[in-house]
Amino acid sequence: MDAVFKALADPSRRKLLDALYKQDGQSLNALGRRLTMTRFGVMKHLRVLEAAHLIITKRAGREKLHFLNAVPIRLIHDRWVSKYSAPFAAALSDLKHQLEEN
Amino acid sequence: MEKLYEIYIKTTPEKLWDALTNPDLRSKYNFGVRIESDWTPGSHYEGKAPNSARALVEGENVEVDKPRKLVQTYRALWSDTAKKEGTSRVTWEIAPIGDSCKLTVIHDQLRDNAPAELYGGHMMVLSGLKTLLETGQKLTTPGSLMYT
Repeated sequence: MDAVFKALADPSRRKLLDALYKQDGQSLNALGRRLTMTRFGVMKHLRVLEAAHLIITKRAGREKLHFLNAVPIRLIHDRWVSKYSAPFAAALSDLKHQLEEN
Repeated sequence: MEKLYEIYIKTTPEKLWDALTNPDLRSKYNFGVRIESDWTPGSHYEGKAPNSARALVEGENVEVDKPRKLVQTYRALWSDTAKKEGTSRVTWEIAPIGDSCKLTVIHDQLRDNAPAELYGGHMMVLSGLKTLLETGQKLTTPGSLMYT
């Protein structure tokens, strides 16, 4: 989980994830065009993201395609976020039921 | 369109396969849905909420290679939007790595711009599956057992 937090702690890497969220399965060249970053820079960030399992690569002919793997982010959500936000979600749900009944 | 999901779970391929194909176990992390099938190649499968006759998801088991690979056609039936998308394909791949398994879920043959409700649930399912196999507990994140 440390690797995921570290990977997410960089704005360029978050940009790469956002680019894949919008359009999944992109090549290195396509990602480089979307971000004002050198090819070397994109490669370096992709390696960190792949080590954290936030992206999965797949060969398609001569190209290597990059896919977003959002599962580690979900694990962080389930481990950290939901624990603290659940009481608020429950309160809102009760409020919704009350308003709908009236 | 194609979506990929990957998770590492500290378990054996046999236990992981059992958690996917045993409806009592499956319902503990799959939004409460029981997936029933005889799991032979070409067989039909159906997912229903307990005490409900209405299928929420269905398809065929195209390839069954226990405990390594399961290829299924996938038809979501829980909403009109989901129904309109028709048939896509879900592949489950289990690879043992050390004392753990890497589980890869590939949801492909999706229409371009298919709605996220069709594939977005895999993340929650995989998170719940990991929790169940590693701790024996059910995940209690809001919505994760919405059909129980």
